[in-house]
Amino acid sequence: MSLIYTNFNYLPNTICAFVLGCAVMSAVAAETKHEVNAESGIQTWELHDQGVGFTLMQITPDQARGFFMARGFDREAVDYYASHCVFMTIVRNESVAESISYNLADWRFYRENYKPGKLKLKDDWLNEWRQLKVAEPALIAFEWSQHPTAQTFEVGDWNQGMTTYAMPLGSIFNLKFLWKVNGVMHEAMLKDIQCASATSGR
Amino acid sequence: MKQCLKTFNVPVLHLAASFVLLGLMLPSGPVLAAEKMPAQALFEVAARPQAPDFLLEDMDGKKHRLSDSHGKVVLVNFWATWCPPCRREMPSIERLSHALKGTDFEIFAVNVAENLDTVFSFTGTLDPVPTFPIVFDTDSSVLKAWPVMGLPTTFVLDRQGRIVYRVVGGREFDDPAIQAQIRGLIDQH
Repeated sequence: MSLIYTNFNYLPNTICAFVLGCAVMSAVAAETKHEVNAESGIQTWELHDQGVGFTLMQITPDQARGFFMARGFDREAVDYYASHCVFMTIVRNESVAESISYNLADWRFYRENYKPGKLKLKDDWLNEWRQLKVAEPALIAFEWSQHPTAQTFEVGDWNQGMTTYAMPLGSIFNLKFLWKVNGVMHEAMLKDIQCASATSGR
Repeated sequence: MKQCLKTFNVPVLHLAASFVLLGLMLPSGPVLAAEKMPAQALFEVAARPQAPDFLLEDMDGKKHRLSDSHGKVVLVNFWATWCPPCRREMPSIERLSHALKGTDFEIFAVNVAENLDTVFSFTGTLDPVPTFPIVFDTDSSVLKAWPVMGLPTTFVLDRQGRIVYRVVGGREFDDPAIQAQIRGLIDQH
């Protein structure tokens, strides 16, 4: 380092290079990674940005039906749930020092030619299930299998749970994640996500 | 930025130096983790609130009241068999139990709203098989009384039954860093 900074005439340029380096690193960090499972065909999207990690993994209609029928839902109810776009959603605090908080009510999805949409949240579902007289044990399983609506993570904390989006199976969309660090809102966009289709995973 | 681009005629060495500088600065702010494993440490709850009491049955029908464990350090893990990180971390809790055997330390794994058959089928597949009490919160009333937003969530209580540490999401509980934190609590008399 001492060799590099012996000539201070270079310092402004070095600062510029540093700023550009930061920009390059930031752009690389915010890139959406997309993977397709060779056996099942199930797709996963992953993004790491500003100390937060997001993963969305398709949950197929068959998987959703199987999971909730095994926990006391009837066929009509699981078919209704499985008609929605469902993802296993993982959020991680990957920073080294900061706590983060987020609320799924702040997140928005964007489909071409449609207005931005909000996620269908756990409480929305629970209200519908109660009107349909779904049994309490099934409701408990449902409630805790969904991604928490609001959460605060310390360093290393993470959660995994389902999120749902009221759009046709097979739809393609972008999802804007928002989270707070020290009261300041941050955002990142996960791009070109596709809902599982009616036959995904078969 | 335009000015930077205009003056960006520095030798490649200086660009490299900037990345070195960037590397040196990373620990001071939120940065990407090198890998997906979460930080193996327990978050300290500064306020140390009193943990809500519970009275729950284990797999043998034996009742356990949390407040009966006052005087010991207690780990309380909320979990369910359908929760993948809960399943993954369970063997590490048993290894922690083994590592701290003979100390004033106790574990309760609180299962959320599942039945005996489901839990028994799952624990039979584990290596090592859990030897600590797995208790059943059949109506999730205990879960709702605790500050839990998602599964798994794990708490470590001091000898007075106060919440000292909390972690959200799966961990390797026999990790040396976590063991050291719990041993530190056990050593406080």
